[in-house]
Amino acid sequence: MIERVSPVRRAREAGSSIRPRLGVVKFASCDGCQLTLLDLEDEFLALTERFEIVEFAEATTNRSDGPYDVLLVEGSISTPEQAEEIVRLRRQTPLLVTIGACATAGGIQALRNWGDETDFRAAVYAHPEYIESLAFATPISDHVAVDAELRGCPIDPGQLVELLTSLIVGRRPQLPDESVCLECKRRNAVCVAVAGGFACLGPVTRTGCGALCPAYGRGCYGCFGPREQANARGLARHLQVVEGRAPADVGRLFAGFTAYSEPFRSMVTELGGVAAPGVAPGGGPARESHDA
Amino acid sequence: MHDTLIPAGLDAVFDVPMVTRVEGEGSLRLRVRNGVVEEARLAIFEAPRYFEKLVVGRTPDEVIDIVARICGICPIAYQMSAVHAFEDLFGVEIDPEVRRLRRLLYCGEWIESHALHVYLLHLPDFLGYPSAVELARDHRPAVEQALLLKRTGNRLVKLLGGRPIHPISVRVGGFSRVPRRSELEALRPELEAAVAQARATLDLVTTLPVPEYEREPRLVSLRHPTEYPFNDGRIVSNDGIDLRPSDWREAFHEEHHEGSNALHARTADGGVYLLGPAARVALAGEQLHSLAAEALRATGLVAHIRRNPYWSIAARAIELIGATAEALDIVDGYRPPAAPAVPWTPRPGVAAWATEAPRGLLFHRYEVDERGRIAAAQIVPPTSQNQGAIEADLVSFAPHVLDLPHDQATIRLEQLIRSYDPCISCATHFLDLSIERR
Amino acid sequence: MVSAPVATVDPTEPIGFLPRPELDRLIEALQADGRRVIGPTIADGAVVYDEIASQADLPAGWRADQAPGRYRLEHRGGVRLFDYVVGPTAWKRFTFPPRVPITVGHRDGGAVTFTAAERPATPLAFLGVRGCELAALGIQDTVLMAGPAVDSDYAAQRAEVLIVAVECVTAASTCFCTSMGTGPEVRSGFDLALTELDDGFIVRVGSPAGADLATRLSLAPVEPERRAEATAAVAATRRSIGDPVDTDGLPARLLANLDNPHWAEVAERCLACANCTLVCPTCFCTSVGQRSDLDGQESVAERAWDSCFTAGFARVAGGNFRPRTQDRYRQWLTHKFATWWDQFGSSGCVGCGRCITWCPVGIDVRAELYAIAGSRSGARAAAIAIQPPPTPTPVGPPVDPATMPHPPALATAPAVAAAPKAPTSPVRACIARVVSTRPESPDTTTLVLTDVDPAIVAGLPGQFVMAALPAFSAAPISISRYRPDGIELTIRAAGPATAAITQLGRGDQLQLRGPMGRGWPVEAAYGHDVAIVTGGIGLAPLRPLIDAILAERERFGDVRLYYGARTWHDQLYGDELDTWAGRPDLEVALTVDRAGPEWFGRVGIVTHLFDRATWDGSNTVAYVCGPERMMQATVETLGDRWVAQDRIWVTLERHMECGVGLCGHCQMGRYFVCRDGPVFNVAALEGIFGREGI
Repeated sequence: MIERVSPVRRAREAGSSIRPRLGVVKFASCDGCQLTLLDLEDEFLALTERFEIVEFAEATTNRSDGPYDVLLVEGSISTPEQAEEIVRLRRQTPLLVTIGACATAGGIQALRNWGDETDFRAAVYAHPEYIESLAFATPISDHVAVDAELRGCPIDPGQLVELLTSLIVGRRPQLPDESVCLECKRRNAVCVAVAGGFACLGPVTRTGCGALCPAYGRGCYGCFGPREQANARGLARHLQVVEGRAPADVGRLFAGFTAYSEPFRSMVTELGGVAAPGVAPGGGPARESHDA
Repeated sequence: MHDTLIPAGLDAVFDVPMVTRVEGEGSLRLRVRNGVVEEARLAIFEAPRYFEKLVVGRTPDEVIDIVARICGICPIAYQMSAVHAFEDLFGVEIDPEVRRLRRLLYCGEWIESHALHVYLLHLPDFLGYPSAVELARDHRPAVEQALLLKRTGNRLVKLLGGRPIHPISVRVGGFSRVPRRSELEALRPELEAAVAQARATLDLVTTLPVPEYEREPRLVSLRHPTEYPFNDGRIVSNDGIDLRPSDWREAFHEEHHEGSNALHARTADGGVYLLGPAARVALAGEQLHSLAAEALRATGLVAHIRRNPYWSIAARAIELIGATAEALDIVDGYRPPAAPAVPWTPRPGVAAWATEAPRGLLFHRYEVDERGRIAAAQIVPPTSQNQGAIEADLVSFAPHVLDLPHDQATIRLEQLIRSYDPCISCATHFLDLSIERR
Repeated sequence: MVSAPVATVDPTEPIGFLPRPELDRLIEALQADGRRVIGPTIADGAVVYDEIASQADLPAGWRADQAPGRYRLEHRGGVRLFDYVVGPTAWKRFTFPPRVPITVGHRDGGAVTFTAAERPATPLAFLGVRGCELAALGIQDTVLMAGPAVDSDYAAQRAEVLIVAVECVTAASTCFCTSMGTGPEVRSGFDLALTELDDGFIVRVGSPAGADLATRLSLAPVEPERRAEATAAVAATRRSIGDPVDTDGLPARLLANLDNPHWAEVAERCLACANCTLVCPTCFCTSVGQRSDLDGQESVAERAWDSCFTAGFARVAGGNFRPRTQDRYRQWLTHKFATWWDQFGSSGCVGCGRCITWCPVGIDVRAELYAIAGSRSGARAAAIAIQPPPTPTPVGPPVDPATMPHPPALATAPAVAAAPKAPTSPVRACIARVVSTRPESPDTTTLVLTDVDPAIVAGLPGQFVMAALPAFSAAPISISRYRPDGIELTIRAAGPATAAITQLGRGDQLQLRGPMGRGWPVEAAYGHDVAIVTGGIGLAPLRPLIDAILAERERFGDVRLYYGARTWHDQLYGDELDTWAGRPDLEVALTVDRAGPEWFGRVGIVTHLFDRATWDGSNTVAYVCGPERMMQATVETLGDRWVAQDRIWVTLERHMECGVGLCGHCQMGRYFVCRDGPVFNVAALEGIFGREGI
């Protein structure tokens, strides 16, 4: 985790005119988490005064291979080149922060980890031999040690600012690891599961989005990933036994943007949440469930 | 057009590392033989994520959530193409107010995307800065204006969709929640200011030094009888194509080229074509919002926008005026619909539709099985459709820069590429420039 | 405003009948008094308390079908307004809001300021408060206003609330107010009370404010048939609920079952999602977060609802006191139904049933109470649909304390030899200034502070302060010495907040709040031998005790100090240790876990310093401070030396945020460690000290 005095703070104190070097790099992802940084509105220019952005391909032609005081990493590792590059990047920084579900959990593309990657490739590309990619899409932490992570798909701008602020100030970043339900109740959102019959992953998902989906009348689909000690099995059992949902439908609920993180991963595997090529997920007939 | 010829006999390789200030990762290699540019190859090395496979077995509402993740800048475009495809197949009639809200949502995305591109990605090229951060040191008001416009677009999307990136409320049949009138009205002052900011943007870009380079590309976009195209319209070109939005495959197809992770789209006869703001302004300009149409007329740039890719920056500014003005109109006329969404049942068959992402026409096609699940999918992003035209333009433009120092050549070529606002994560499918001279 | 009924007003006696259309007159009168009227409204598929403009905003004809994990609103038609029973929101949303700013901190170089955030109270009227909810308001009044520390903003807001109660004439299947003694009848605690009939409301007055309102309404006389109808309806409601929870001796029965295997079974179902605690109208646990600018110069401390179910609720730098879901479920249930009595003199549960309805997996607390604590009568409570676990685990019969060989007397606080010294003055806040700093070990620093509030300087050995810098969380730090002009704090940099404090230099400022907690009872050792056993930084809170003993040395017998540290470099107060060791009237024995080249003394754990000593502990009073395992081992070893448990004092560490017993984090069994401790007599901790997961 982040050291007591963050390297960022140390870099600042070393000379007040020296700004810590910030890098933003991307692997297999949609760019949404980097865009969250560009979308910071009021804080963006203020942040550029406190950090020297030395590498951020989407925003600047200034490039740097390192070293960095802080490196934000978006995206999952999906090719052999990426697997090598992340190892090189790890050596370039004392503080590697993964941002977003692709980097922290493998992302939606990690669903292919349940299938055969060659089938995937052939299904999409007419000449699959032209594409060099790994059989798995994996989170950064499967390859190198990670110092901090921002969850979400995309990450929450408030949490991004909190992380960067904590680096400047030297305090522990306030990224609570609790269920979405706490935030729902604080903001007076009516529980879509209890009152609406929606399947909702909120109780087992980490907060951070502000309880967005329930506030907008639909169930949480877990894009911030499982929270600490998430009892996914208990929720899955309730959805099947009490609410009568088909196992495959419950499996698909967990087969989302953070499917590859435990305990969601085990639920997907056990309940059959991912379709094999040409085969319906879980096999057998499944109930219509428009609210899944 | 410069008539600078490369010295005869010059063979060279140009290698420029990843093109920056585009969305995603790609490289360009130019091959020059005997002073003639033979080939420009765009190699997308953005890692593939196989979305068309990931949606197999999922329900339509799950597909809407998933395809947003194809792109962080234009997630709504993906959600719109998908949701309209399903509603077309299932015979769902959405409430007219819901339809207006969808246009409003698209306005928000266009505002955010165009403001991002014009100011943060493209403008630095014209004024000689490596990024908007350095640009801000000398032109802070301009960058602040950009951030305000972007914020307005994001706030619109956030109100309707829950959050600006990967919205959560789009559902088959409508939305999971619709805003209260008071919530939309609260955005009114900001939208009014945004119209003025959009106008100021157009004023700014018309003063920029724009490289001279012209050609007559084949242009493709949606066109609708009464509205500037977002979610609906026929697929048209400037050479006779005219199709229902679900019939894209009748005139176009995809090919896979070696060295690229992206599929290239071509017309039936193997030709390249261009989508995006310039195409829309050229083909659907008559349906521009009156404020935008008037502003366009005043610039006198109609022909230039069609012929010179660098002038796409003005096309985006025009569309900014249109989107902000239309957003204001929609807000003023809004009455909440009777229900946020209408009920629907799936039908088996082919669901296909095209909508206009900020970068151009985006086509989705899904085969739906008897249980209402996806059996196969085809998603054709605008950038993969533009790739062929971009490469062709690079081939014809490159001679003008080969005699420049490598750095400057790179800048000019990257500036050209940025004119198309490529969204490489979408195409998977930008830019390492390498020029092979042999 | 709730106040005691005036002698002429009988809250149980109807004073009139309010025809249905006249309800708007009541609402208007409240509005004319400048109050925002909060009442039930329909939103997003539930009945939610929100501001109303007139009775047209009320949920006419709506009812809610409730079951464990299920809530469905139904429109039955008709005119009745209050048949919906309870919804997910509790009135505490308005009296104890989910997020409030509490202080604004500002830092400029080394100078800091803290100012209380402005939170003016809003005059409100609550329309539709049920018996269970009235009881809940009363319970929160006790928790937040009747203790040694008072939540003054809560008190101010509470005083601005006028309550119009309604008696329940229907019940949901999840209600059990009857068992908890809170309803359905409404007898007191309100300004006005309404009982709804088809054509209007029977009105009762409960306070002068209510009486005043009643004079502004056109009330008809109450006819006997109407009165009988109302009484019958409430009685029928009571019958329909029955008595689902046997509360007779429930606290003792629950606390006798702390090791019941059923806790593990519940934990398989429980998602620890915290919904139950956040819909509960009496839960009061909160956490404080910092919202600061990018540089940490301006920071607002914000207090937000939290829950004992969150994994980090009982976490401290060295570990987590309730790491498992079953620990936390047990904490919740035993707090709500048992230790709440010790703390606040009532049950914490009012039987509103919200936790049953709004649990996403439908855990029914009535069934769990029966499964764990059984029932006195032996008969199973009537008609509860208990959801069977899918893989039933064999559960032994619940333990009835009456059958246990030595039933612990746990429902009342046990007598102790001498109660720990109570704090002598209320808690004060001040901005202290660093005079000098002294590194004690690689990660521990002593700050010498001045500009300290006299109340803190007059504190007792063993008390602590909450030390805060803007943009950082506050840290509980024991006072390690009292000086004529200030205090000393010895701080280990265990995390970013404490690290920031250890990095302060001469002239820098920080906020102190204190003195907090109960200190070491020095007088308990007059005329006795003294043993002080400590490890690591544990010597810091004991140093003022040593100072106090040495100041009156003649009043004590033999005084022995046993101090263990990880290595010689981790010993605190090296020079003082030498001075103390040099005194003939003080026996000092030191040990380290790991010797280095400079260490020539004992090596081993601190208990080895006296486990084979020859002194007789039967006249010894012991003071112990260190890691919890070390303290447990020490208590045992002291016992072997015949030191009685009620003569051993320990100081405990728990997660603390407020320091005054209001945030709930530091609870251990029935105690708030910040307020009832941190110094405790070991005999008073029987059954808790050393128990896992408490």
